[in-house]
Amino acid sequence: MLQHGIGTGPGCAPAASAGAGTQHAPARPSRRRVLGQAAAAGAAAVGAPALLTGCGTASAKDGPLKFWNFYAPQHSDDPSLNAQSKWFTDLVEKWNRTHEQQIELLYIPPKAYQTGSKLPTAFAAGAGPDIFLVSPGDFLRYYNGGILEELTPHMDSEAVKDYYPSQIASRMVDGKVYALPMEVEPLAVFYDIPTWEKKGLSEGDIPTSWDQLLDVGQKLATSSRAGLVTETAPGYLQNFLWYPWMWQGGGNVLDEHGKPNVDTKGVRQALKLWQDAVRTGITPRTPPAADDLLGAFKSGVAAMWVSGIWQVSSFKAFAPKHKYGVFKLPTPKGGRYVTALGGWSFCANKQGRNPKAAAEFCAWALGTMEDACIDRMTDWCIKAKSDIAPRKSVLKRGEQRGGYDSHIMRYFKDEVFPGGRAEPRYPPVIYKAMSDAIQGAMLAGRPVEGETARAQASVEAYVKSYKGASLV
Amino acid sequence: MTDTAAEATREPGPGGASGASSTANSGGTGASSRGRTGRRDRPNRMSRKHREWLAAGLFLAPDGLGLLLFVAVPMVLSVVLSFFQVSGFGSYEFIGFGNYERMLNDPLFWQSMKTTGIYVVVLVPVLFVVSLGLGLLVKQKLPGMAVYRTVFFLPYVISLVVVGLLWQFMLDDQVGVVNKAFRAVGLKGESWLGDPSIALFSVIAIFIWVMMGYYMIIFLAGLQEIPQELYEAARIDGAGPWKQFRNITWPLLRPTSFFVLLMSTVAAITGGFELIYVLTQGGPANATSLAIFYIYQQAFVFGEYGYAAAMGTALVLVMIVCSLAIFKITKGGRFDDGE
Repeated sequence: MLQHGIGTGPGCAPAASAGAGTQHAPARPSRRRVLGQAAAAGAAAVGAPALLTGCGTASAKDGPLKFWNFYAPQHSDDPSLNAQSKWFTDLVEKWNRTHEQQIELLYIPPKAYQTGSKLPTAFAAGAGPDIFLVSPGDFLRYYNGGILEELTPHMDSEAVKDYYPSQIASRMVDGKVYALPMEVEPLAVFYDIPTWEKKGLSEGDIPTSWDQLLDVGQKLATSSRAGLVTETAPGYLQNFLWYPWMWQGGGNVLDEHGKPNVDTKGVRQALKLWQDAVRTGITPRTPPAADDLLGAFKSGVAAMWVSGIWQVSSFKAFAPKHKYGVFKLPTPKGGRYVTALGGWSFCANKQGRNPKAAAEFCAWALGTMEDACIDRMTDWCIKAKSDIAPRKSVLKRGEQRGGYDSHIMRYFKDEVFPGGRAEPRYPPVIYKAMSDAIQGAMLAGRPVEGETARAQASVEAYVKSYKGASLV
Repeated sequence: MTDTAAEATREPGPGGASGASSTANSGGTGASSRGRTGRRDRPNRMSRKHREWLAAGLFLAPDGLGLLLFVAVPMVLSVVLSFFQVSGFGSYEFIGFGNYERMLNDPLFWQSMKTTGIYVVVLVPVLFVVSLGLGLLVKQKLPGMAVYRTVFFLPYVISLVVVGLLWQFMLDDQVGVVNKAFRAVGLKGESWLGDPSIALFSVIAIFIWVMMGYYMIIFLAGLQEIPQELYEAARIDGAGPWKQFRNITWPLLRPTSFFVLLMSTVAAITGGFELIYVLTQGGPANATSLAIFYIYQQAFVFGEYGYAAAMGTALVLVMIVCSLAIFKITKGGRFDDGE
């Protein structure tokens, strides 16, 4: 009876007939038969994985689409992480209730997802997820690799216009949308009020210029306390945290036409600022408290920290009574205020099993003018996380629902966010050239002129042979 | 009588017994002679030597198959891949030696090779001396020695990721226990992982801490092989500890030393990735970007699989050259022809 069940797929049929053959074997097999059967068993053992793989793939094709992310499903001690996980599971459950094509979430720990090899390896093996989250820094890599399915046909045109242009532009190519932002995460400086008070500093001492920032940092720094912390490990995060300082002085890696523009005053002075911060001992060479802002403030080992709006929900969850403040990034002499706006997006795999349904899902989740969609995005930005909404209607609803009533969130919305510029979508070679310049100036103390000249040469060489969507 | 027949008659093993039995079963007179003839008539019956070869082959087959599938084939594929430009999303373009040309002109590759060179040159001798020292120490017959052996070996069984995190805390600039100890005795303390002139040596020190227990055990095994009578005779002749070490321990430990030298060199050239990944991400300012880390970065962060394969091939060649050099210099662990 078993054979009937087995022999449903072409790949499984030989196994079934082999099984049938053994049923009629004589009671005392001859040596030749035993050897023959042993050889057949050996061959079957060797071939079994391939056969099983074939069966697995066949059935998986008909199964749910895989949505890889670093939020859900998971259970954590952190209530904000639980809320984020619930938002994702609710989203997928709602879709699955109303659509034939089912979707399944696959959780990958943030570090493995964001800086590990799991995602690139999966794509290289032709086994990438159907739906996934992409950061601006990775957008071009996936677009140029032919991975991103266009989302525009599944979106309301009004919804495209509803996105803040700065947010959607970096996810578009030739006027078409390929990824939908779910959040906006601006950068600012967080400061620890008890430490400031201990040092006799108050709100009136909040720095507005780079010189003042270094002065205040110097006053706050001791041998066991960092004056101003920023990322020192090489990586996308460090570049992201450094870009706004460069923009403030008019610097750019590429100009508006995509021409390399690294060896300029704006870039050099931003490198010099971070170099001075380390050289004078204001900024430690490695982040204190295992890179945990909250822990560092609570234990008094850091006084100021360059970070993003995502820290607000951490304070709310773990240290609601701890007194901390936020101020906009100070500006250089003659410069203008700019901050960097980060955030992740939904996107669909063009080479996946059902790209149309995957794209439809992304648009349904984040790209329509329906009330449910706007509500859902509002929940993400003000309930599950503490973020600025990437769409005007969502931000408005968030305001109506009191999501920006707290002093800190209002400050982020009204003061920090309006001067923002989206995180650039530079490919890895450009990222690496700038990363090396930042590291060389900041931690090796090399002259900034040499660093910008070297980075300029690397970026120029790359841009000359670059083929793909616009870099800016 | 053929050799085969002679062996079958002489040997009382299972094959021989079977042959005798089959001869007996053939019945009739002149069983012995007919038996021999019978064996001649069956040229496919294997000799003991052949059967042993077959058995050895069968025993080795699973390992050989594993090596072929999981080592040899990927290595060949990696070399093939190095001649292609690979997007990471299924597009392969044959570019000949393009990746190798790029490698030769990539300053970061050369910097990573230089860093690897320093890493190997410092790590291998220090690890050798420390492990040998520990091996000599724990060979002493003192109370509680088993505890010391365990303690020294313990770091080796801890995951390198955990080791990395542990040392990251201990080497923290502000609140790390190492800097606190320095400050307690009036010293300034350092940024052990944040200063480009120190970071690589911090990583080396941590790697030595992890590996010393493993090589200590290997040295201990080698030391215990040396006959005690030699030491007793030397002591009677008035040789002190240093003379005993120089004239007995060191020469008789040569095969073990060769093994440790070879293995630690190979491990240093191709290893260290996990620690770098957790501790420094190749920073500060590429100071700890070993070749193996740079290869990883090119493949899995930048998606340059073809270029990474070319660098991987180059690194394997370097490793082979170093291993051959060690073989040549030490004459395969014998160190001189006389021994």
